[in-house]
Amino acid sequence: MWGNKALVAMRLILSLLLLLSAAIPHATASSDYHEQLNLRSLHPSLLLASFNFQSNTSLTSFEQQNFRYFPRSLGQILQHANTRELHLRFSLGRWDAESWGARPWGGAREGGTGVELWAWVEAESDEEADGRWLTLTNALSGLFCASLNFIDSTRTIRPVMSFEPAGNHSSSTLDNLHLLHGTLPREVVCTENLTPFLKLLPCKGKAGISSLLDGHKLFDASWQSMSIDVKPICEPGSSDCQLQITQTIDMVLDLQRSKRPRDNPIPRPVSYEELRCDLSKDYHSHDTCFPLDAAAQEEEWILSHIFGHPLKGTCPLADDGIDPVCINVPHARHVYASEGAHEHKDESGYKRCFALSPDKDFEIILPQQEISEKSPLEQPLLYAERSFIGYGQESGGVQAILTNPSSTNAIEFVYLETLPWFMKLYLHTLKAKINGVEEDIIKEMYYRPALDRKRGTQLEIRILIPANSTVVLTYDFEKAILRYTEYPPDANRGFDIAPAVITIGDIAIRTTSLLLPLPTPDFSMPYNVIILTSTVMALSFGFIYNLLIRRFVAIDEADQWDVRAVRLKVLAVAQKFMSRFLEKRSKDGKDD
Amino acid sequence: MAPSLPQFSAARMRSYVFRLPLFTRSIIGVILVLWVASYQGVFDLVQWGALIPKEIGISTMYRTNTFPLIHRGVFHTFFNLIALAPLLERFEAEYGTLTSLALFVGPLSTIPALLYTFIERGILGMNTAVLGSSIWVFTLLATEACKTYKTNPSFQLGTVQVPTWITPLVMVVFVSVLVPNTSFLGHLCGLAFGYGWGLGYLKFLAPPEWALRWIEGKLNLLGRLPHYVSVDQKTYGRFGVLPTTNASNISLPTGDRMQVEMGLVGTSGSLLRRDPRLLKVPPYLSFLCIVIGVAWLLVLPLDNYSRKTYISENALLPGQVHTYFAGSDQNVFRGYKREVDGMGEWGNVEVNDKLEEFFKASGLKVARQRYEYTSAGETYSGENIYAILHAPRGDAEEAIVLVGAWTNVEGELNKSGVALVLTLARYFKRWSLWSKDIIFLITADSRAGPQAWVDAYHDTHQKGVQSLPVKSGALQGAVVIDYPFDHRFESLHVVYDGINGQLPNLDLLNTVVSIASGQMGIGASLQKMWQHTDTYKDRLTTMLRGMMNQGLGHASGPHSSFIPYHVDAITLQPYGEGWQDEMAMGRVIESTFRSLNNLLEHLHQSFFFYLLMQSSRFVSIGTYLPSAMLVAVNFTIMAIFLWVKSGSTPSPDSKVGSTSEKSGPLAIIKKEDAVAIVPEELLEARERDFFLPLGVVVGSHFLGVLPLYVFNHTPHALLPIIFYLFSALNLLLPLLISSTLTHSFAPTLQQYQLLKSFSLLFLGMFLSALATLNFSLAFLIGLLAAPLTYIQPFKSTVITALYVVLMALLAPTSVLFAGTWYWNLGVGAVLREAAFGWDVWGMNTQVVVWCVWWPGWVVGVIQLFGRPRVREKGKA
Repeated sequence: MWGNKALVAMRLILSLLLLLSAAIPHATASSDYHEQLNLRSLHPSLLLASFNFQSNTSLTSFEQQNFRYFPRSLGQILQHANTRELHLRFSLGRWDAESWGARPWGGAREGGTGVELWAWVEAESDEEADGRWLTLTNALSGLFCASLNFIDSTRTIRPVMSFEPAGNHSSSTLDNLHLLHGTLPREVVCTENLTPFLKLLPCKGKAGISSLLDGHKLFDASWQSMSIDVKPICEPGSSDCQLQITQTIDMVLDLQRSKRPRDNPIPRPVSYEELRCDLSKDYHSHDTCFPLDAAAQEEEWILSHIFGHPLKGTCPLADDGIDPVCINVPHARHVYASEGAHEHKDESGYKRCFALSPDKDFEIILPQQEISEKSPLEQPLLYAERSFIGYGQESGGVQAILTNPSSTNAIEFVYLETLPWFMKLYLHTLKAKINGVEEDIIKEMYYRPALDRKRGTQLEIRILIPANSTVVLTYDFEKAILRYTEYPPDANRGFDIAPAVITIGDIAIRTTSLLLPLPTPDFSMPYNVIILTSTVMALSFGFIYNLLIRRFVAIDEADQWDVRAVRLKVLAVAQKFMSRFLEKRSKDGKDD
Repeated sequence: MAPSLPQFSAARMRSYVFRLPLFTRSIIGVILVLWVASYQGVFDLVQWGALIPKEIGISTMYRTNTFPLIHRGVFHTFFNLIALAPLLERFEAEYGTLTSLALFVGPLSTIPALLYTFIERGILGMNTAVLGSSIWVFTLLATEACKTYKTNPSFQLGTVQVPTWITPLVMVVFVSVLVPNTSFLGHLCGLAFGYGWGLGYLKFLAPPEWALRWIEGKLNLLGRLPHYVSVDQKTYGRFGVLPTTNASNISLPTGDRMQVEMGLVGTSGSLLRRDPRLLKVPPYLSFLCIVIGVAWLLVLPLDNYSRKTYISENALLPGQVHTYFAGSDQNVFRGYKREVDGMGEWGNVEVNDKLEEFFKASGLKVARQRYEYTSAGETYSGENIYAILHAPRGDAEEAIVLVGAWTNVEGELNKSGVALVLTLARYFKRWSLWSKDIIFLITADSRAGPQAWVDAYHDTHQKGVQSLPVKSGALQGAVVIDYPFDHRFESLHVVYDGINGQLPNLDLLNTVVSIASGQMGIGASLQKMWQHTDTYKDRLTTMLRGMMNQGLGHASGPHSSFIPYHVDAITLQPYGEGWQDEMAMGRVIESTFRSLNNLLEHLHQSFFFYLLMQSSRFVSIGTYLPSAMLVAVNFTIMAIFLWVKSGSTPSPDSKVGSTSEKSGPLAIIKKEDAVAIVPEELLEARERDFFLPLGVVVGSHFLGVLPLYVFNHTPHALLPIIFYLFSALNLLLPLLISSTLTHSFAPTLQQYQLLKSFSLLFLGMFLSALATLNFSLAFLIGLLAAPLTYIQPFKSTVITALYVVLMALLAPTSVLFAGTWYWNLGVGAVLREAAFGWDVWGMNTQVVVWCVWWPGWVVGVIQLFGRPRVREKGKA
């Protein structure tokens, strides 16, 4: 016992020493860690906040388990599972591309609703890769308090055309790298996933921009996405490689909702005085009001109101000179920052960044302002929408509408669909219509059919979509009937179908997930009652009654079983028992 | 030695019943008499005779004897008798009538009763009254079990050897678990006595055999009493006759067919088939089915047969949330209301332009859909507009719909309704708790618009209907507001019928009713019963109106179009003059949406098949289905009967079953060691000539396609004329077919019977299948077609004439005409509605009318005019 404690203490001291020794030589060099918060108003009352945390570690020190900015817990998992590149996403909600424009990071840092994980695992064979993938998902499941361990063989695919390694891998390792991809569309992302996420950060949510992150606000957002990417970067031509970890959190906050005090979040009707009415209407009176569209005015907001508390200084580990807070508003918009912060205006005219003072709380105030100039919304590369068609318990169809908004550029993309095995796709029904005309626009296709209860369907299609056109992709499927134990407790909700992933170059867009209703047995009362009573009736009543009523004996055999027989039987049993008892006693006596 | 399962045989059953020994019979008789007597109101027989532990004293000792004879209610009596009769019969057959009498009147009831009284009153200190013969059942079961144990000590259940004597105990446990209000202790007391008897410890209680024998001999009971079982089995055998296997001993008096059958039970079904009683029963039976079917429906509104509604889905939590739709939102409502009022005269597209502006100002996504339908030569077109409120944090997986049609079913401008939808859209946007998208749909009208939208949402729309540019997830529910007036209202009218008689989940309706009445204090009514006094009459009226709507299968509101897609939907219509304002209506919607928002699963818990007789009272399918099934079964019974009858040689009908002497050639049947002599004609097989009947039936059913096509494809201006032409033709058509048949084919009576048999068989099968889908339609059609069961070529012209009048009145065309006259609608309007239903809603009532009912009617009238060919052979 004592020995163990001593060992732990020794290790602690050692690691502290190591940490110090690692820190000292680097302290003078420029930091390998930086963080930045980007605020962008999407709509008069919506605010997109993008948090980005990035750090590099040299691959050699990583292999020697010498972690500095790189989180040890994650690093060891990666080493144990021979994972060379990792991408993990937690997302909630839906990005409204039509009103909000292009996705943050072009969609590169987000996943489909729920949890999405893909990684390049180094292994000699597919089986070994599967084993390591299992190790990885189980370990990450524990680390992030998510049900990642439910990514089993039915939910895992090996994309062929869709994902490309983001990092630089040497050609020798590249041959042995296996890409595995899994999704959990039903997983609800919540606070228990945020806490381990923050713990991976060097400042652990105590200082710097990560101090703004709070479960209450993050998960109240209209859309949010957390991502972790680990990839190796090598200087071309040199063998000096770095391992980069990037953690991002993006969220779209509803300003009005965020500004409501936490103790009184109910959106009660505003008082009569606060009601903003269109006074030009002739019927306007004290009790009749045509509401005024609030979109013309920019909403006022204060950073600490939006996030619940002010920004607590800077993270001391991030000292590479990058301004930690930026805000994307036209220069004409009034922005007041707290004392000690230096404003840097970008020449584009729509961006300004702030350098903060290390120990003081930071605050931004944007007053209400009527402003015609708006920071331009970036147009997304592609609009994607997917929905079910048809109805009924037996079959259905999926329709994906993909629109290229650009008037000049054609786009080539890969459409990846991962379907569970009980959604049996009919590939011959796959049709692509471009602007309403059926045309052969599918350039390449990879299809791996499902095996019942073993693996799902994987479908990858490469499509070239000309400028300013819409592609409608449809296919039919049949619904399988599950065994009754395979239904989840809320069987009548339906089954979540993972979002389709559309890969355009190195960015990816996801559609929304779908809810597939399957034929469901009636698990409830009548079923139970009928089954139970029928079984009991059939088994016990019929059987016993029959047995009692029917006898197959000759008449003269009847009536012999009387008291004497019972008495004799009892006597015989008693005698047997007694004799055995006596025998035993005599035996015991002998032993004595 | 594997026991084969006995086949049920009516003849065996009957012979068993006829052979029941005397004491068993009398006990059954006494129990039945006492059961009937317990219904009189003068004297409480149950209270008088039950075994009530606290009441037992010297003067009330009779209770220990009377309690097994008295029962409570029909089921108690019936099941106890079923269980008791075979056991008692065995007991009596073994011990003799006198012994049974002595035992059952004496110790067999008294001792368990006293035991029970002692334990219940003395030890447990309770006072539970028991009655019924089940105590005997268990006593007898226990004695039987002891006997069985001797021969079969155990039986195998899987790998376990279960001793057979334990089985009555198991039965006691099952009975006490499965059957309510049974006395576990009482049964145990019975068992205790039974085991005692079975093991022989209580044999001393039996009266001495010499005494019984003496009485029996002195009174010559064996000679005097029928079915008497002698005490002395060794001398006389059980029934006073020695059993024998010698078949020649069976007495065969000529003409006593009964006796012949007794000897040949189970050997020849053909003999049973000829039983005059069996051949006479079916028409009465089928009439009884109709009567019971109708009576069944009529008792449904009674308290005992209907139930109070309840919320099955716990997630709904109706009325558990505070509603905040009030205050300054009322000003906004008035603003929108003024805007909507101002648009009353505008065209569809201008209105939608304006509505789009309003929705967009509320921050919602807006899309539009044009549609155009053609039906009965008319074009129905318009443009729907809808806005989607994305659930914050949601992923477009599920959605609920709030519908406000621009004009309601009556064509009135739904001004408050649309203004309320607009205000609620603005109000709902403020909330962040939505887990499902909310779609605000404003359709151009209440009939075609919703259908076009729902069809397009599921991508099953017809040509002429645009696809939806924006969609959300799976629809979980829809609520329609139909509020076409300005003033305050009193109550809420809930419309729930879907197309083709499909209904929304009862939970949705219950939720709205419970929110309106429980949370908001607004009354809810159904089926235009503006005044409901909760009397039998009102309940019945509500139910019948519901059945009429269900039977017609038309859309009763914009919600109806949603229901075929398994989207539960209802329409809410405020009515009356009261003090509830539009905000109260809004709060009902708000609370309903909060409840729907709570749903984790699609509505599935509660009933989809029900009849409502009040907003809080319903009967479920298990209770009401037998009524339509019985009506449908009446056709099947007659069809089978006619099939059997057509296979038998016709005998002068008045003589069937008579015992008068007949001198036909006799045949001898041998089966194993039984021999019977029967008239030869009974064994004669008869060919059925069913090509003609089948041809006519199938032909007339195919002919039904003609009116179906004509009425669904005629321009509406011509519809009334076509209808009157068809009605006239309809009355002549069967006459024409009938005379053609008689002239060209001269069908025999058998062919007429087969004609009717096939027609009724089809009707019976179709209606019983339909009853599970659209109960009301099956019931109504079954009732209207009921006279077809009894139709045949009558000899009497008076009956024929009466029947002709009846059939003319019950022709589908006449019924349609009568319906339009009763509800004050034009024939043209009804037919136009029907054609619209066929083209737009996918209504299929017409198919049932023209392809099932009408052909049946035609075939019926063909028979009425038919003249069966007289057989040349002459009288058999």
